[in-house]
Amino acid sequence: MTLAFVGGTHRTVPLALRERLAFSAEQAAEALARFRDRFPGRELVLLSTCNRVELYAAGERETVPPPAEQLVSFLAECRGIEAALLAPLLARESDEAVVRHLFSVASGLDSMVLGEPQILAQVKQAWALAQRSDTSGPLTGGLFQAALRTAKRVASETALGRERLSIPSVAVADFARGVFERFDDKRVLLVGAGKMAHETLRYLREAGARDVVVVNRTAERADRLAARLDARPGRFADLIAELAAADLVVSTTGASEPVVTAELFARAEAGRAGRPLVVLDLAVPRDFDPAIGTRPGVWLYSIDDLGAACEANRKSRQREMPAALAIVEEEARRFMGDLHHRSTAPVIERLRAGWSETGDAELERLFRHLPSLDEAARAEIRQAFERYAAKMLHPPLESLRNESRAGPPHGLLDALKRLFDLKE
Amino acid sequence: MTTFISGISVVCFAASYLVALVCEASRPLFRSGLRGAVLVGFAAAGFLAHTLFLGWRAATEPAVPLSSAFDWYLLAAWLLAGGYLWLLAANPRTQVGLFVLPVVLGLVGAAELSSRAPFPQSPATQVWGAIHGSFNLAASVAVAGGAVAGLMWLIQAMRLARKRSPAQGLRLPSLERLADVSGRAASIAAWTGAAGFVSGLVLNAVNRRSGLLETVPWNDPVVLRMALVVAWLVVAAAIGRALARRPQAARVGAWLSLVSLGLLAASMLWGILGTTRHGVPPTHAATAREAAP
Repeated sequence: MTLAFVGGTHRTVPLALRERLAFSAEQAAEALARFRDRFPGRELVLLSTCNRVELYAAGERETVPPPAEQLVSFLAECRGIEAALLAPLLARESDEAVVRHLFSVASGLDSMVLGEPQILAQVKQAWALAQRSDTSGPLTGGLFQAALRTAKRVASETALGRERLSIPSVAVADFARGVFERFDDKRVLLVGAGKMAHETLRYLREAGARDVVVVNRTAERADRLAARLDARPGRFADLIAELAAADLVVSTTGASEPVVTAELFARAEAGRAGRPLVVLDLAVPRDFDPAIGTRPGVWLYSIDDLGAACEANRKSRQREMPAALAIVEEEARRFMGDLHHRSTAPVIERLRAGWSETGDAELERLFRHLPSLDEAARAEIRQAFERYAAKMLHPPLESLRNESRAGPPHGLLDALKRLFDLKE
Repeated sequence: MTTFISGISVVCFAASYLVALVCEASRPLFRSGLRGAVLVGFAAAGFLAHTLFLGWRAATEPAVPLSSAFDWYLLAAWLLAGGYLWLLAANPRTQVGLFVLPVVLGLVGAAELSSRAPFPQSPATQVWGAIHGSFNLAASVAVAGGAVAGLMWLIQAMRLARKRSPAQGLRLPSLERLADVSGRAASIAAWTGAAGFVSGLVLNAVNRRSGLLETVPWNDPVVLRMALVVAWLVVAAAIGRALARRPQAARVGAWLSLVSLGLLAASMLWGILGTTRHGVPPTHAATAREAAP
């Protein structure tokens, strides 16, 4: 065994236990230092997010990774949880299954929100921490590098993370951007200030919106909100004028009746000079009379409209799963091939050394018999010997590489050892 | 090198544009890491071949460079293809090519049906001929560009009105950008179309006064159809301007741009299939007059 894995996710570990199991950055660094002392020569990367805590251990030959049960005990000890409580909830994997799992995790295929991109940054951070703590070596280094490459491929070759899933992001990045080319010259009007409005405003700010007005039934609350959101407070009494001046409205009041009726909007419409208006009505019940959406130049979206678009995006992500899994499979196979080939390195080294020693001895003998040779001729002959050795070794080494793709090439390695009398 | 350039034919770049169009059309159907490179490669290769073809004709034709109906259509297609390449580089994720490339291929097809013989010109009318041709070219390209933007506006608006995410399937520029392009194109088409028509009248008058070349009568089909198209372009631009502060402006502008393209296409078809004295070589008498001391 070269790679070992133990971990729990939102699917297997209840939230209450996940909270106890989660590591802060400092706690993770301490745990890695403890692992280094207890299992010298082994490698470990600890990935801890709000939805998962996972240990990726690695080692080879004399320093194989600790068995899964030892890793479970280690994890339980680090977090002060009884190992017996944790053991049945944690998954255990080894070798190729570990590779597949990490590649899926890094690509967002194992996330609660399919294809979410934050996990990739968390995987990078976990690896970086292991590097700083001296618990990452060539095995986990290669594994995590390959995981990042896989995630990049999944992101670029599939549409898995492309469609947005949250209502504020869909409202701004899909619908508002479908109408407006830019937002830095647009007036944004927030009517009310529910949680969804804050989130939507964050996306609008990212898109370039600068001119934001907040109106609320209570003037003091509007002032407070405006100060907090770096916006200008407006008066609810001026709602018609504010509607006439706005290009994009985000409405999230808690009113039980529509705040903007068709009649009220008709009065605002007269002052709009034909400019298009996007209304994101995120309130339940709705703040805008749905009839307003039939007016020319008005693009009105309720929370249900945006929710339906989010659902369509979610389904679209699901459709990308087979393509993403195929990439994970291909990369996992490639990585395992490299890993198996890596295990052949000592034999190859001994084989090369044997050929080199024999060649050097023969050259010495030849040069003794031909003392008249000058340095240029000797160098030429030495090069010819080296080229000959390399060409003779090429076919067996290539066969080893090809065999490694299917699994550890034990048979070929034994044959080489016996044929060329290679000692351990 | 010259052998290579002289070997480039219309089929070379038309086929490249066709492959680019197929790539564009397949974009909403499936994802491919390779398609982007194939699309850009074929679009760029087509444009390069198109440029070399026109350059070769300009350098080797004995008459005034690019002065036949064939060259005129190819120039219009070249300008649109260049615009498409620029848009492809600026916004690689939008599928503008799905709308621009059929127009480009249509113009290349029209070129193939048109005469390759240069329009007859004398030193006295060369400048006015060039002005007339350039303005008409600019007007036609503006009409085509405006109609493409108008059609995309209508599709995007329909999807937004049906609450379908514009990020799903066909990716198009924003309504704001499309309305802006369509509106500007309508104005440019009206001004350049009018200038092209007026310069045509001047060209005709110069021909009549110098007596060097045949003149085109007022009731010639070319004069009538161009008058109709130019009148429509001016009216369309005026309507667009009048509605500028109305919420329906963009939608009406989009429909007007499509009607403009329809009229222009009908006019071109008429030009290809109908009889006219526009661009007809001089008769014996006129040639004899020109040759006289």
